[in-house]
Amino acid sequence: MAPATPPSNTAAPAFSLFDADITSAPKPFRKPGHKTPSRRIKNAKQIAADEMKRIQSLPDESRSAALMDTPTYLNVEAPPSVMPRKWWCDITGLKASYRMPNNGMRYHNKEIYEVIKHLPPGVDQQYLQLRSANVVLR
Amino acid sequence: MSYSTPEPASIMASALPAVSSSAAASAGLIQEFPPAKLYQLPEIPVPQFITPAADYREGVPIVLDLGTSQTRAGFASDITPRFQFPTQIARYRDRKILRTFTLIGSDANYDANTRQAAKSPFDGALVANWEYLETILDYTFVKMGVSSQGQVDNPVIMNEILATPLAQHKHMQELLFETYSVPSATLGIDALFSYHYNNGNTGLVVSAGNETTHIIPVVNGRGILNQAKRLNWGGHQASSFLLSLMQLKYPHTPAKISPWQAEMLMREHCYTAPVSYADEVEHYLDRDEGFDERNHIIQAPFTEVIAPVKTEEELAKIAERRKESGRKLQEQAAKIRLEKLMQKEQDLEYYRSIESKSDQVSQKEFKRLLDAEGIRDENELSKMIKNMDKSIKRSRKQDVGNGDEESDTEEMTFPLLEIPDDQLDPDQIKQKRHQRLLKSNYDARMRAKAEKKREREKKEEEERKDEEWRERDLEGWIKDRREQRAQIMARMKEKQKLKEDLNNRKSLASQLRMKSIANLASEGPSGATTPTNSGGARKRRREDGEDDGFGVDDNDWAVYRDIANASDTEEDDEMAESIRKIEEQLNAFDPKFSLDSSLEAQSNWMNSLVHAFLRGSRPFDPASRAEAHQIHLNVERIRVPEVLFQPSIAGIDQAGLVELASDILLRRLSKQDSVSACKDVFLTGGFSLLRGFDDRLRHELRATLPVDVELGIRRAEDAVLDAWKGMRKWVNEKDNLKNNMLTREEYMEYGPEYIKEHNMGNRALT
Repeated sequence: MAPATPPSNTAAPAFSLFDADITSAPKPFRKPGHKTPSRRIKNAKQIAADEMKRIQSLPDESRSAALMDTPTYLNVEAPPSVMPRKWWCDITGLKASYRMPNNGMRYHNKEIYEVIKHLPPGVDQQYLQLRSANVVLR
Repeated sequence: MSYSTPEPASIMASALPAVSSSAAASAGLIQEFPPAKLYQLPEIPVPQFITPAADYREGVPIVLDLGTSQTRAGFASDITPRFQFPTQIARYRDRKILRTFTLIGSDANYDANTRQAAKSPFDGALVANWEYLETILDYTFVKMGVSSQGQVDNPVIMNEILATPLAQHKHMQELLFETYSVPSATLGIDALFSYHYNNGNTGLVVSAGNETTHIIPVVNGRGILNQAKRLNWGGHQASSFLLSLMQLKYPHTPAKISPWQAEMLMREHCYTAPVSYADEVEHYLDRDEGFDERNHIIQAPFTEVIAPVKTEEELAKIAERRKESGRKLQEQAAKIRLEKLMQKEQDLEYYRSIESKSDQVSQKEFKRLLDAEGIRDENELSKMIKNMDKSIKRSRKQDVGNGDEESDTEEMTFPLLEIPDDQLDPDQIKQKRHQRLLKSNYDARMRAKAEKKREREKKEEEERKDEEWRERDLEGWIKDRREQRAQIMARMKEKQKLKEDLNNRKSLASQLRMKSIANLASEGPSGATTPTNSGGARKRRREDGEDDGFGVDDNDWAVYRDIANASDTEEDDEMAESIRKIEEQLNAFDPKFSLDSSLEAQSNWMNSLVHAFLRGSRPFDPASRAEAHQIHLNVERIRVPEVLFQPSIAGIDQAGLVELASDILLRRLSKQDSVSACKDVFLTGGFSLLRGFDDRLRHELRATLPVDVELGIRRAEDAVLDAWKGMRKWVNEKDNLKNNMLTREEYMEYGPEYIKEHNMGNRALT
């Protein structure tokens, strides 16, 4: 068996937080008094939506170019697959020949069926969430 | 995450059939296992302080590979990046000294508090928080030792993602030219830089990064970006997928895995199925020789709880002490009982003497005697005497009855009992009384013995008959046994079904149960729900003192057992025991029956797929602290990387890597370009370091490409650092530095949204 080790990392870094603090470090390269205009924090979805808006508002000619030939963030996105989808057991990852009728989970054999049947409430949705197949209440 | 489930064991472990070691032993399955190979869960490294560079010179280009996971920075004069650090920032406020620390990179791993505060400026592959990014750039320039006054007086070459939204490009150029006033800057795609470093000219670049995977065809050194594709899956998504899988697999494990540890586990243990996932996974959990190699056991750190071990001597001493005190107690109790008995006997003697006086003294005198004792009349006295006699007998029996059975095998004799009282003296009469007691005691024991013997004989007789039957008609006997077994199994199944049904509020079983509860609560007979028997009438009847007759039949009480909803463990054990017996007999006499098909073997962990999945090839000891802190990686090792080839596994509605690549090669490129691109499929990016990734891609691409097309697949020299090296190589090429970088003047003239095109960069709108 493995040797018993203490559960936490006991070694401390060889420098202090004051050394590491970047706000107090000398920054001669910064223009004195210059402040970068602050920008709103946007998540990836908002950024993509803004880019969409920008392309929509382009003059006709460049818009059709942007939609057709020029690579943009939106049109380099990989398209959905055209191949038939394969199913794998949601719990073990093995080949799944069966589907649970009440929640749609895929399973490998009757032993896994028993496991799924006795999952605590809500856990089936957590498994389905792994492949974005969970029920989302809005 | 946690579940509101009462049982502490893992949910799946609880669904596992419980197998005791004794059961396994009886089935002959006890097996010795060599010690398992354990992998330790990695610990986050202690941060090392980066001292700012001392050899800063103005004008030397700064090469900056700003990745979503790691940032690498160095001068164009360096051969490898001067330093790299995780792209993260922690704002940590120390409340004691009222100061906020801003920590970048590995400094953010300073301690548990700062680690918790660590954040990334990125969301996916895009910059979400520009303030964080600016701080990270500040940190980078500080560590580069930049000392030019009021500006970063070096050309800067940086990376950006394929087809970045224009706003991102604009913000980055604004930052570089306005905040840092760089003389010139260029932004390019890291995957193309990496290909450039590896002397690529025409080929297909597959860049599996931390947040995205890009597939970019390159013709004559120039990326064909409008045919490039982005798959929203990278190392970060893979490691969080692995983490979620682990959390669901071991919901109750005390070992907590951090995202960083999940990433390390993914890098170290995951690999791409070499030919196809379906082939690889089919026998993955089979218990063959290779299973221990496929199943990696990760040992999380734990502290062993050491129970104080007592020596043999100590144990013996404790047992002796316990025995001694028990004996003392018994002695004391016996003494007290004896004293009480004697007291009672004396009392009895005294009352007897009073009784015997009744015909010696006058009626009046006798009445006086009785009054003095507080006794009403003669009848009461005789009743009292009778009662006392009985209780004496009982207490004697108690003392004698505990004797073990062997002691009274010899015939006991009671000679005085045959002689009438008048021939005996008072002493002998007393002895006779004693003997009478002993005799009744002895007789009772003998009767019990005889009963037992009869039962044993009956059983032997049954067994003999059974044997006879078996010898006479083996087939019939086997058929009978099999039927019995099937019956018990059916009953067990039925019970299990009922139990499950009771968990479902809407099932018939639980509705019937609710009905009987309602009946009992209304305190009426079982037929109380019939409309003719209204509640009012029942109440009146109870007030009249009339009994409803509940309990006359013993079966009435079964209703309480029915509604209790508790598992009847006694009956379960009984059924399991009888099944075991029948199976033993069948095993001995039925040639078609083998222990493999027995119930025990069916519920044995050796045959359980779930056990193999959760606990590997060895038995699981729930008491072991070490095993409680173990995590088994088996199917996950190939399941996680497989998402790149089948994104639907993780719910990504995009085509897989091979589908995308073959689509580009076969349909998007001209015939001539396609043929030369197939010769050089180039893999780069940290996520592409997965073992077997190139082989798998080769195997699958080969299957989709025409036979006469030559296919070449190669990995980058260093999939992680080659982007940086490619940027350095590019900027060191005279022409590029002079003509292809965006200068300050151009920036001023064309504005921050201007994209200066070059072979490695993004395209401007035409």
